[in-house]
Amino acid sequence: MAYFQVNDRCTGCLACVRNCPASALDYRDEGPQRTLLHNMTRCARCGTCWRVCPRDAIEFQYLLRNRWDEVVTLELVRCRVCGEPVHTTRLAEAVDDRLEPLAEDLCARHRSQRASLAVAYPLAAGKGLKRERAS
Amino acid sequence: MIVADSKPLVEIAPLLAGSRRVLVLGCGGCVTVCRSGGLAEARELARRLAHPEFFPAGVPEFRVDAIERQCERDLLDAYLEAPPETDAVLSLACGVGVQMVSDALEPLPVFPALNTTFMGGADEAGLWREKCRGCGDCVLAYTGGICPIARCAKKLLNGPCGGTSNGSCEVDSTQPCAWALIYYRLRKQDKLHLLEEIFPTRDWRPGGGSGPRVRRRAGVAGGPGDFR
Repeated sequence: MAYFQVNDRCTGCLACVRNCPASALDYRDEGPQRTLLHNMTRCARCGTCWRVCPRDAIEFQYLLRNRWDEVVTLELVRCRVCGEPVHTTRLAEAVDDRLEPLAEDLCARHRSQRASLAVAYPLAAGKGLKRERAS
Repeated sequence: MIVADSKPLVEIAPLLAGSRRVLVLGCGGCVTVCRSGGLAEARELARRLAHPEFFPAGVPEFRVDAIERQCERDLLDAYLEAPPETDAVLSLACGVGVQMVSDALEPLPVFPALNTTFMGGADEAGLWREKCRGCGDCVLAYTGGICPIARCAKKLLNGPCGGTSNGSCEVDSTQPCAWALIYYRLRKQDKLHLLEEIFPTRDWRPGGGSGPRVRRRAGVAGGPGDFR
């Protein structure tokens, strides 16, 4: 969903383009068509376009509240006991050579629990977390 | 940008005594960037205030919202909606925003959650310093781009006071003497002759000395005149 949206009252009069203080609006006349252009990186969301539009055609609410953009999707490592997200695989790869012990697939609570068990039952160290997450 | 600081909770909480539903309203402008009044700070403030320690007679219900700018009346009229039965608003805007929201939601009481502090610039990430007092008659062309009104504790216009010490201010030795900064800047620019000019007694009226200042820009938002 675009951030800058107009409703069907827009007449292409270009009042918004002429008055935008951030030069974030432009237009293209091509053949039989006029296209209104908006550049979000220039837009100051000042609302001047919304104020000057003689037809109340600018749906400014989409510049105030809008969807989240998905930026990147990475592989996630979850706690092998409870399934809580721990870190991404890429983060582990990036910091493993600087971590001792290595980044592992346990959340803080289960890492701490395992450490306590290791102190209390040194012979059974590492065997205390048997309730592996069903995957 | 306008820099503001959070008021202490013990100052804010008594303002809301007796309220049952409070809108905690962040501002998406300057105070979001200087980390004192955005949506995140509004959420955190509501979380910290919602404690019986502050409200022995009953903790109000806090609802959190934010609007892009609290300093524009038509934006508030069109897009700010207090939830039903809200009986107080806690604004995390600068003093401008608090007043604008007060006007827009009259007669609902609107309380400030911040102390508006200064107009400043971020010299480093997370470090803002005061740079401008909005005096209405800028002298930066003659002072090497360093404002003696905002950055000299005594607002001196014709050189440093007798207390300047090795480049530091006598009022606060952790701060540089603005006139030392001006001297070294002008020396680098080969413009030390500017220091020989005497600033006459200043007219402070453009700086607000004759009451609140008002500006109307021709051509903005359908007004008269050509904007471009």
